[in-house]
Amino acid sequence: MNPTEEKSNGHKILTREFYLGAFLVALLIFLKFTTKGFFALNNVMSMLNIFSYTLIASIGMNFIIITSNIDISTGALISVICITLAAVGKMGLNFWALLLVSIIAGALLSGINGVFITKLGIPAMVATLAMSQIFQGALPLCVDGSIYDLPPSFTWLGFQAKIFGVVPASVLIMLIITALALIFMRYSSFSKKLYAIGNNAKAARLAGINVNKTILVTYLIAGTLFGITATILATASQRVTTTMGSNLEMTFIAAVVLGGTSTDGGTGKVIGTVIGALILSMITSATNYLGISSDWSDAIKGAIIIASVIVSSKSVGQKKRILGTTNVAVQSGGR
Amino acid sequence: MILFFLWLTITVLIGILAPQFLTFNYYVGVVLRDGVEIGLVALPMTMIIITGGIDLSVGNTMVLSAMLGGMVALRFGGAAGLLVTMLIGALCGLFNGFLIAKIKVSPMITTLSTMFLYLGLARGITKGDSVYSYNLASGMGNMSLAGIPVQLFIYVLMAILFYVILAKSTYGRELYSIGLNENASIYSGINTERVKIIVYMLAGLMSSVAALIWLGRFNALKYDAGYNFNLKVITIVVLGGTSITGGYGDIRGTIVATLIIAVLSNGLTVLNIPVAAQTIVQGTVLIISLVSLKFINQRKIRQKIIKVKAPTAQ
Repeated sequence: MNPTEEKSNGHKILTREFYLGAFLVALLIFLKFTTKGFFALNNVMSMLNIFSYTLIASIGMNFIIITSNIDISTGALISVICITLAAVGKMGLNFWALLLVSIIAGALLSGINGVFITKLGIPAMVATLAMSQIFQGALPLCVDGSIYDLPPSFTWLGFQAKIFGVVPASVLIMLIITALALIFMRYSSFSKKLYAIGNNAKAARLAGINVNKTILVTYLIAGTLFGITATILATASQRVTTTMGSNLEMTFIAAVVLGGTSTDGGTGKVIGTVIGALILSMITSATNYLGISSDWSDAIKGAIIIASVIVSSKSVGQKKRILGTTNVAVQSGGR
Repeated sequence: MILFFLWLTITVLIGILAPQFLTFNYYVGVVLRDGVEIGLVALPMTMIIITGGIDLSVGNTMVLSAMLGGMVALRFGGAAGLLVTMLIGALCGLFNGFLIAKIKVSPMITTLSTMFLYLGLARGITKGDSVYSYNLASGMGNMSLAGIPVQLFIYVLMAILFYVILAKSTYGRELYSIGLNENASIYSGINTERVKIIVYMLAGLMSSVAALIWLGRFNALKYDAGYNFNLKVITIVVLGGTSITGGYGDIRGTIVATLIIAVLSNGLTVLNIPVAAQTIVQGTVLIISLVSLKFINQRKIRQKIIKVKAPTAQ
């Protein structure tokens, strides 16, 4: 915290993402030598599927958190989209139609959050809290528990769409979205606005950024990503329940945080979120194969996040201070 | 004041529609009794939110402390169980406070990760089994004094205590000061680290008290009992007029909001409205109150802030 320490923060090769990646590699090597079957094709593919939907939504969450907002209605929102999909899927729509429906539904519902936050000025935390209650309440009223006996056209993505017959198609969707997100964060001026708003919303407004519009658009983008996640989740089986997405928002936020994005906003990279989501989606399976009861997986999740946060807290604190004092928020945000 | 009238209106309205709702036995024995656990945790949560922080781990602190306490009580008796429950609660809070104040991790991230940690510990230690109630906890959850459930006395006592701490003590002023401007508080000589650690410890401690009552009331507790508890508590605090960005709010608002939520959820049950619809009503009430508070109280809030600032400036 003192000035001399701040000065020594010059080298940038050993970034947080680097350490996190190293941890991931070490974890993989450790699992390779201590477990049998963790790297079996089936397990890897099922983990990849979990990773795909976790990452897609986490990227959306990352955008929101970079603007120093938050969305805790995501889990309930995804449940709503899943049920909507199942309802229209009963009519035998194909995958592309379902994807379109989910994207529109996601953008609309997330847009409501955005309107509450920007137009009515309710803090994101509270607005999305209220929305999550409304979603959670609305679901059991519309549907009695679950929608089942869904046609093969509905579960096409989950069961039939495999690349080379093994890799789930959700992985392809995930790769496309991650690539788009990386390009978007690197080259678009819109992404720079996100960092500017996250660092200092007032300064951003004075610099000519339409803060409200940007945040609203961020929620719309995130909504489409949540919609895609919901598609992957819902089409994984012939039965869609009303609690499909329950509590998922905490996992997404955890992936974003583990990836080095500060919930204070203004920092964070997509690549960090990728690694964070990968680590989190491996834990349940890893504990199983290590012979630890799955009852412990939540505790391990929590411990990993805490450890990573503690290790990085000092450097993050310094970065924040430097940004705060010299006002180079927009430049340093990008990459 | 608006909230108070809202509470009165809802009570009278439901009372007209379902007269049995307003009998003493039902109103005190069921409606108010239901709100105690959430209300107890909402008290320190108000303080935390006033400092600009948040605690997402309260529900799972509750579960973890109740479970460890219950397991100890099986072997060493009720008194030991009670002691361990409160100790675990305080320790969980201390851990949160330590990470937030000393390591300077943001409250949201800290309590999000400890939420997973406490949940996981509770689940791992019990291997998914339930923990059952014991004599002392049952007493706190089920006993009545002069027809009034004993936990209501605990709540009233705690509510008064927290009101005095927040509104009348130096410590309370320091909480507001931190919420308004943490750097300024440091420079004006407030030991912000100590203040924050204490406030998170209080939250842990109150969670464990709530845990005892809860365990007593329901006789058994599983690891997923704390699900959504944190959000319910935050709903109450925000409904009570405390600003989620910190620096503004008071305990009275939280108390009335607790009453409103307790009356709402039970009243709607009396009127045979499904549980799901109640959740919608809760969310809608929250949004409406926020929007109306924003428009009506904007000027008032500004005045209050200046009032709060004055004593700390001396």
